[in-house]
Amino acid sequence: MEDSTIKVGDFIIVQRQGYTKLHKLKAHGTLSLGSFNVEMDNVAGEKYSETFQMKNFPGNKRLFTLERVDEIASTTSINIEKSGIDNRNITDDGQSQNLTTEEIAELKSQQLNSNNIVEKLITNSKTFNSKTEYSQEKYIKKKEKKYFEYVQIRKPTIRLLASMFYRQDPTKTLGIRIDDLSQILAYSNVQSQGTHLLYDSGTSGLMPAAIMNLIGRDTSAHLIHIHPGNECQKTALVAMQFPQEQLERCINVNIYSVLRCYYQNKTSYSEEPERKKAKLDEEVAKKPAWQKDNERACRLLEMGVDSLIVTAKEHPLSIVDELVRFLKGGRSLVVFNLSREPLQDLYNHLKEKIDFVYIKIACNFMRNYQVLPDRTHPEVNMTAGGYILTAFKLVS
Amino acid sequence: MSFDGYKTVIEEGDTVILYLTVSQVYSVQAEAKTLSKKGVEVDNVFQTPYGALKCSDLIGKQYGSKITLSKGWGYVLQPTPELWTITLPHRTQIIYTPDISMIVLQLELAPGSIVIESGTGSGSLSHALIRAIKPHGHLYTFDFHENRVKLVEEEFNCHNLGAFVTVTQRDVCSNGFGSDLDNKADSVFLDLPHPWLAIPHAVNSIKEDGGRICSFSPCIEQVQKSCEALSRLGFQEIQTMEVLQTSYSVQTKRLPVLNLDFVKTEKDGNETKGKERDVVKSVMAVPPSTQPGHTGYLTFATLPPVWARKLQISLNQAQESGNDLN
Repeated sequence: MEDSTIKVGDFIIVQRQGYTKLHKLKAHGTLSLGSFNVEMDNVAGEKYSETFQMKNFPGNKRLFTLERVDEIASTTSINIEKSGIDNRNITDDGQSQNLTTEEIAELKSQQLNSNNIVEKLITNSKTFNSKTEYSQEKYIKKKEKKYFEYVQIRKPTIRLLASMFYRQDPTKTLGIRIDDLSQILAYSNVQSQGTHLLYDSGTSGLMPAAIMNLIGRDTSAHLIHIHPGNECQKTALVAMQFPQEQLERCINVNIYSVLRCYYQNKTSYSEEPERKKAKLDEEVAKKPAWQKDNERACRLLEMGVDSLIVTAKEHPLSIVDELVRFLKGGRSLVVFNLSREPLQDLYNHLKEKIDFVYIKIACNFMRNYQVLPDRTHPEVNMTAGGYILTAFKLVS
Repeated sequence: MSFDGYKTVIEEGDTVILYLTVSQVYSVQAEAKTLSKKGVEVDNVFQTPYGALKCSDLIGKQYGSKITLSKGWGYVLQPTPELWTITLPHRTQIIYTPDISMIVLQLELAPGSIVIESGTGSGSLSHALIRAIKPHGHLYTFDFHENRVKLVEEEFNCHNLGAFVTVTQRDVCSNGFGSDLDNKADSVFLDLPHPWLAIPHAVNSIKEDGGRICSFSPCIEQVQKSCEALSRLGFQEIQTMEVLQTSYSVQTKRLPVLNLDFVKTEKDGNETKGKERDVVKSVMAVPPSTQPGHTGYLTFATLPPVWARKLQISLNQAQESGNDLN
């Protein structure tokens, strides 16, 4: 159970109603949560999944501290005097709320208490009592969300990270929605064995994190994570806080530099690393880490990989064309793109190459449901996912 | 013997996927002999639309290679849970890859996870669950149907997955998952006609640190009852969704182009020229004319750790009583 204690240095997900935010817990750090500044000191030492109340800091309107609670005063305990039958007498004239914006802000700064504020809003609303029961509940929920004073601290998981990034901004993960992610992982057949190859140019580390998660701790599998920049994007990868042993099996290399090493520097990696160490101890010590990573990656690439996943900003054709040489026969290629057209180009290209079979392009329709007694229906808003190309490589 | 890890060469006893076209994919056993329907040992020959395949000929071939049939050819692939899902012998309705992938991700599985599944059905989901949790994890799968339990267990052993799974015949709605599994599971999957009856048992089986649950139901009424039960028992993040997949066939089509310019000028005897048909080549992705429009609703929820469970229950209760007021 030692894992369940929140420690300084941990990556945590702070959840307030439906909103989530990734945060690295520092000693005496603060977190900005919407318009609130929250001191995070009291979180350390507590357990994950605990709930904390945001309390006003004396003398500073914007600053809040957190206090662990065992009980939440829910707004549903608000007493509703009466309800209307329908909305025939309600007109939206912008005059129904007697409280001014300033007065509401004043309420909020006195004490952030959703229960209290919502109750004040209701008593000062001209129309609330003529709203229908359902409409009243919706009103309360909406206002509660705005003034909700509780946060929960969660441990990051792939699911939480994927939905957090997508909600914040889908471009953070190249538009990979949670169903896209789930299918990329399934069709690529990534598991706790083998060597996996990923080209990723912009999913905030979500793709390597999700693959490393499936590779697991204390297993034999490796991931070669190829990226186009000086540094790979790794927000999600570090947030998952994999043990060192597991993280070492994720080799992050730059695409140009690893391929240059593969084609032009064969001698550097083809020798056994142990023998080399004995022979040229000094030279090895002098080698920069990125070069050692390139050589490690090249040794694995030479043996062939068991899956190739491409989640690229760039047109996937040239990337696939180059990297697919490392894919063993009978193994899967999976390429994601937010648009179908680049995948169509790739589809025709692979068809011509004749060393691929079972080439498919698919996309998903995903929607969420509101499930409430007598009020179950699909959620009002929905999103559009991307396209996934899958194919099996033949042995040459 | 061909589901655990990656293989290069087909060995005797392997399950092999035979790929002919996108819509003609089969699974065969790489064995010389098989039992006929009458229980007599006969040569294992698989009839394809492109001629017969002697299954013993597959032994020694490389996965991913082309094989010749009398009237054409095909390709042999190592089975994956996805390929198995489309080729397995149906004994029940099965869950397909779009739903399966979502279940694996949402249940937050990783090597080492302990998962409970009920019912086992034809084992379509089970294979994907095992891939996600091996080598250190374990799947406990339950079905109340005696023969299904027997057959699926044989399949797991035949696929070399027996070490990662325990199959039990049991009605989990009445009898739960057994005290052996109390506080043992990281996640629970339910595909039952009355999932709300099994949800209280799931609470007993999930670890004290908490865990995830999923219920797959075709009907919305089942979903409503399940959500009610989940809320009452203190689950949080209760979320219902559906996922449907559309596969496109990419085709390069030639589309005729009508020339309508000639009508604007007087006839001068050259009309035959104008009537030559122009064509434009166009790459298009064509969706199938019919496809599944509904499989089932997936309901997911989190059971908080024991220290946060009481608060969640009171929160859910407050919400429930709020709903009752209305």
